[in-house]
Amino acid sequence: MRLSIGILSMIWNSLYWWMRPLVKWLLRRTTKLCELQRICYGEYRGAQRTCGVEYSLLQSRVPEIQKCMKYTDSKCQERSLNHDYICYAAFTIVKIKKINTQVHKKFCNTLTECMTQIWGYRQLMADVEVMRRQSYSAENPDHEEKLLRLWTALVPDDPLEARVTKQWTSIGFQGSDPQTDFRGMGILGLENLLFFAEQYTSAARHVLSRSQHPIYGYSFAIFGINVTAMACDLLKSGEAKIHFYNASKRFPTLHNFHQFYCYLFFSFDELWRMEKPQNMMEFSRIRDKFEAQVKLKLKNPMAYFQCNFVLENV
Amino acid sequence: MGLLSLLRKLKSAPDQELRILLLGLDNAGKTTLLKKLASEDITQTTPTQGFNIKSVQSDGFKLNVWDIGGQRKIRPYWRNYFENTDVLIYVIDSGDRKRFEETGQELGEILSEEKLAGVPVLIFANKQDLFNAAPASEIAEGLQLHTIRDRTWQIQACSATSGEGVKDGLDWVCKNLKKK
Repeated sequence: MRLSIGILSMIWNSLYWWMRPLVKWLLRRTTKLCELQRICYGEYRGAQRTCGVEYSLLQSRVPEIQKCMKYTDSKCQERSLNHDYICYAAFTIVKIKKINTQVHKKFCNTLTECMTQIWGYRQLMADVEVMRRQSYSAENPDHEEKLLRLWTALVPDDPLEARVTKQWTSIGFQGSDPQTDFRGMGILGLENLLFFAEQYTSAARHVLSRSQHPIYGYSFAIFGINVTAMACDLLKSGEAKIHFYNASKRFPTLHNFHQFYCYLFFSFDELWRMEKPQNMMEFSRIRDKFEAQVKLKLKNPMAYFQCNFVLENV
Repeated sequence: MGLLSLLRKLKSAPDQELRILLLGLDNAGKTTLLKKLASEDITQTTPTQGFNIKSVQSDGFKLNVWDIGGQRKIRPYWRNYFENTDVLIYVIDSGDRKRFEETGQELGEILSEEKLAGVPVLIFANKQDLFNAAPASEIAEGLQLHTIRDRTWQIQACSATSGEGVKDGLDWVCKNLKKK
């Protein structure tokens, strides 16, 4: 059964590979528009359009376009991509496609916008990775300052007695010194938590108090660091594209990533409480369930996760 | 594809399935060790809430490795995973001298559990790559391992991040399972 499906899909793929240029050529003749134009004019703004453009560019067999994309990718890896460069790359593609810029002014703008989103996302992946790779260090005053700010934002009425204290466990770190808890998520784990605590203070404190529930409680900070891992995975696998393409037509920034994280954290907490887990050992099961739900939501091309937190009962 | 998976199935059918329990304090390196055993990326670990489980093929065995979170809050749940354990692996952070006493107490409690009576125990003196790591012999002495008489035991120096010593430990596990 599986074998026959495999063969069928192989036949279809090779057929598609041979037929695609023919179909494109026919459509170009009849509509007088190239595929990129048909997508830019025909699809709704956001993920639908941008994903279409991305697919079309990836499938391109024009060596110049492939080269242009490769170079843009390398710029992303260096994290030195900017608006000017995207404009230049878009202009190159327009030239290659021999599109009349006087007639198709709107197309140029739309293509630039899509390309900003596509390569902005790739650059964001590189930015996030750099932060993740930077381990938390108690010798770094910047890291220490952020850690202390996290405490103040979450528990303003109860100052820390010392840098190393059991108090940290009350916001869900494992022991009296949080520095080892960030593990493979590095400084990104702390930045995510801090953003949630400072930008959505009431929501974060609300979630914190829910995490201290006598029966359905969990470790807030550790939970958060695991959400960072999930957000990273979704970003890297490309599944989060739909959300980011719908969220902003400009370069996505770390700010957007933090917001994506906050949404995940808040909704994870909601699911946790709904599931009424017997104890913390159900974490993996509920995390997997949550991840599946998020991935399903991200299948919808209109998906956009907004941080409009409604605070229910503790 | 279909044929290949069929062949794989045929080959792995006679494997004996075994349950391995991975315990230790938080930040000992249990999850990193688990990922290393499963040849997965070890740079992206997070503190374990609850547990992780992975199946590893080794030496004709199918090892189902259970990695349980080591946070103090979770330790009371360890006992829920004791049943039917074939080998216990206890992981120690050799650089965390401040908590040697705590880890010794936890180990002592586990070894006195009825459900784990007679179960062979492998102690990984992990993080040997750290400059301040205590050597395995020192840890063995501190934990008074020589007083363990009711089971076979072994202490193995290792570094889960570099992989050094991990294979040796696993070989010991498989060797002791064959004896059974």
